[in-house]
Amino acid sequence: MNEHEQQQLMDGLRALAALEPLQASPRVEQTLRATFRARAERRRRTIWASTAAGFLAAAAAIAVLFFAPVPWHRNTQAQQAASERPAPGASVPAAQYAVVRTDELASSFYPLPEADDLPPVETTLVVRVQLPVSSLQLMGFSMGEDAGAEPVQAEVLLGQDGLARGVRLIQ
Amino acid sequence: MFGPRSVILIALASAGAFAQPGHRGMAPPPGGPGDFAFVRGEFGFSRKVVTGAPYSAQASTQFTQTLADGTHIQRSSTASMARDSQGRTRTEQTMSSIGPLSASGATPRTTVFIHDPVASMSYVLDPSAHTVRQMQISQRGPQSQNGTASSRARPMAHARHGANATTEDLGTQVIQGLNATGTRVTRTIAAGSAGNDRAIQVVTETWYSPDLQMVVMSKSSDPRFGESVYQLTNITRAEPDPTLFTVPSGYTVMQGGPGRGRPAPQQ
Repeated sequence: MNEHEQQQLMDGLRALAALEPLQASPRVEQTLRATFRARAERRRRTIWASTAAGFLAAAAAIAVLFFAPVPWHRNTQAQQAASERPAPGASVPAAQYAVVRTDELASSFYPLPEADDLPPVETTLVVRVQLPVSSLQLMGFSMGEDAGAEPVQAEVLLGQDGLARGVRLIQ
Repeated sequence: MFGPRSVILIALASAGAFAQPGHRGMAPPPGGPGDFAFVRGEFGFSRKVVTGAPYSAQASTQFTQTLADGTHIQRSSTASMARDSQGRTRTEQTMSSIGPLSASGATPRTTVFIHDPVASMSYVLDPSAHTVRQMQISQRGPQSQNGTASSRARPMAHARHGANATTEDLGTQVIQGLNATGTRVTRTIAAGSAGNDRAIQVVTETWYSPDLQMVVMSKSSDPRFGESVYQLTNITRAEPDPTLFTVPSGYTVMQGGPGRGRPAPQQ
């Protein structure tokens, strides 16, 4: 670029700088504003919907935790029956029994891991024992490292051979 | 509120987990050395009512567990069993152990369980305290089976063991004077399915008497938990003494069935 060309470029730039600022037409501005408002509205709705969904999920989780039938429940009418959840190997027992005090909490019987390979149950005996939580490990439950020596009461479901098929905790 | 739930969740999460044989680091329960303290018998019942096949016998179970260091743990439990022609059963169980767990206390506790489908009652007797817990039972449909051999009475050949199990017919043998048919179920736990680097075989052998409609001997061998042998001995097929199925005089009836500790009001 020679001096003449440089001079022409500078004159052109000065002329351009001297012009009044160019603005969009009012119609274009209105269209842009409307578009931004619509986007903002959609974003607000999305945020509210997400928040509401979160609250609904939390409420549903709380409802499930508090009201859904779970293995551990209060036997207000002594309706816990051993036959509700027979141990492995035991067919549905011939009779139902109310077995838990009305002021106690009891879980259903949980089958012990080794019980699946024991002979079929013909006669079932249920005995109540007191034992440290850690002793449940000897029965096949892995209670974790923090399982202590705190005694708990449990009902043990025995077969005719005196071997445990299931256990449930009593509180 | 979440304490019990947490315990159950832990228990659920552990179902199927390997036991830890030899874990002896727990403090003894109240009542002296031992893994558990016997509190009381709660109730007992028979899976099916068998009529016309009376018997009385002694039952014994030997449980053996071998720890990783080679230590052997042996437990045993005994019981006197009887059944009359009407299908009433009596089990007098001496509770000195439950599998690998040993009971605390110098003298094993004995509990008598009577199941009386005729009177629709179930009794649990505590001979040491002379107390009895009683409860009414309701039968759920016809369950009675007479003493004739019935295919329905035969155990289901361990169908519950699933596809990884093989069942062998061991034929018929005379055990304690009774014809018994044998079945051996071998279940294989494939390598890697439970964190095991090699396949594990669990073998259960059952000898069933069609005449008595009950198992007269069984053996179970599980490398994870131990071996157990259950056997009926001194089997007598005469009608047992009827008084065995009734509550002896002088026993205090504990009101409200199992779990309650209040004596019934004197009448």
